[in-house]
Amino acid sequence: MTATPSADEIRSQVFDIVAKQAKIDVATIRDDSTLTDLGLASLDAIEVIFDIEERFDISFPEQGINFATGTAGDLVDAVGRVLAAGDQQ
Amino acid sequence: MTGADARAIAVTGMGAISAFGEGAGVLWQGLREGRSGIRPLRHERAADLRVRIAAQVPDGFDPAAHFPERLLSLLDRTAQFALFAANEAVAQSGLDFRAGGLTARSGVIVGTGVGGETTHDEQNRRLYGEKASRVHPLTIIRVMANAPASMISMAHGLRGPAFAVSSACASTNHAIAQAMLLIRAGVADVMLAGGAEACLSFGVLRAWEAMRVLADDSCRPFSANRRGLVLGEGAGMFVLESLAHARARGAGILGLLAGAGMSADAGDIVLPDVAGGTAAMSLALADAGLAPADIDYINAHGTGTPANDPTETRAIHQVFGAHAQRLAVSSTKSMHGHALGASGALELVAVLGAMREGVVPPTINLDQPDPACDLDYVPNQARDLRVRAALSNSFAFGGLNAVLAVRAA
Repeated sequence: MTATPSADEIRSQVFDIVAKQAKIDVATIRDDSTLTDLGLASLDAIEVIFDIEERFDISFPEQGINFATGTAGDLVDAVGRVLAAGDQQ
Repeated sequence: MTGADARAIAVTGMGAISAFGEGAGVLWQGLREGRSGIRPLRHERAADLRVRIAAQVPDGFDPAAHFPERLLSLLDRTAQFALFAANEAVAQSGLDFRAGGLTARSGVIVGTGVGGETTHDEQNRRLYGEKASRVHPLTIIRVMANAPASMISMAHGLRGPAFAVSSACASTNHAIAQAMLLIRAGVADVMLAGGAEACLSFGVLRAWEAMRVLADDSCRPFSANRRGLVLGEGAGMFVLESLAHARARGAGILGLLAGAGMSADAGDIVLPDVAGGTAAMSLALADAGLAPADIDYINAHGTGTPANDPTETRAIHQVFGAHAQRLAVSSTKSMHGHALGASGALELVAVLGAMREGVVPPTINLDQPDPACDLDYVPNQARDLRVRAALSNSFAFGGLNAVLAVRAA
């Protein structure tokens, strides 16, 4: 099994995915930027979730991700939690 | 006949199949009693799916008990549902199209969101999964979206206008509106209209999961703790005829389809829009010659998603003003699930039942009031209420809205 990526690696990849979907410079994304702030409507957010799941080979829980108020940092944390939970299994 | 009566269409038969089982009667009884048809998902791949619950037609439905073997080989599950419901509706109407010389003046319109998905999924699995080199020769016959309409036309000898209508979750209401317009225009005397859906295949369930709009606990429309929609399946079909035609033959009239309103949001592909829903309800009232104050009950679209319920609530406020607080509004999807293209049909059974028995079915699982949803949703228990006229809302993905206005016979 591949090593679990560090928090910085996760952040870098998540921000890349968000930047690509929002068509913005990745440098403009901060941990506390909400997806709405970044110009991502609900359908964009669903695509971001899908891309993140594909990139990290994980499945987010069905509920618990708030697209409207969730921040880029929340996404990074959520990926970390799902990866950590996977490692414990 | 007054002007409004000349435009009204008589509903003289109904049939349904749903999570409550076979028949419009068991569906209405379940809704009236506030029972849930939502159960753990039955699916051979259930263990692999995140979807845990659904409102499925019970296993006890045995197509072979209803259709001869030769016919059955032509029917996808969607067409089975549609034909079952149509046969029940025709039996109730007392019409014999062939004996009555009605065949050229009668037709059928069936709404369906995706058509023969069960067949599509099975054959694709053979092709891509099992690497089979050929698929079943009747695949096209079963998959085509017009198959339910064609099968009903053949079964009852309907030789007038027959086709399918597709507008996702508004498919039934659009289908019924088309049938109403054809009768009003004098193109047909009798139309069978309704909707059918059976699309809980592995592929479609996975696709719904990816949209992240499914609830994992239950369907809780208008409740602050709502977590999304719960998929369902089924069909409902109705016999519609001009009021003059129904009266001339002394038919029992279940209710009057008084009008319909159709609109498109022309905005977001999934997020509902207050203006679109408002327009469809206003147009339905105007078409029916009804004032807002005439409406006693609205069967809401009420999916239980975060987006729909407050948007629909705002639209009702816009159309009804102060009368909005006096209306009873309920989402029966809390019980029969979201049967997608068939949902308007299951909901019309609810509206006709409410009107005939003076009992409004509840919105169940509504246990946490939401300030953004501030109407009377008839929480958890049916209520005795005289319903003289009602609206039935369907607001589809794609921003397509269709609202039916119904009044007592």
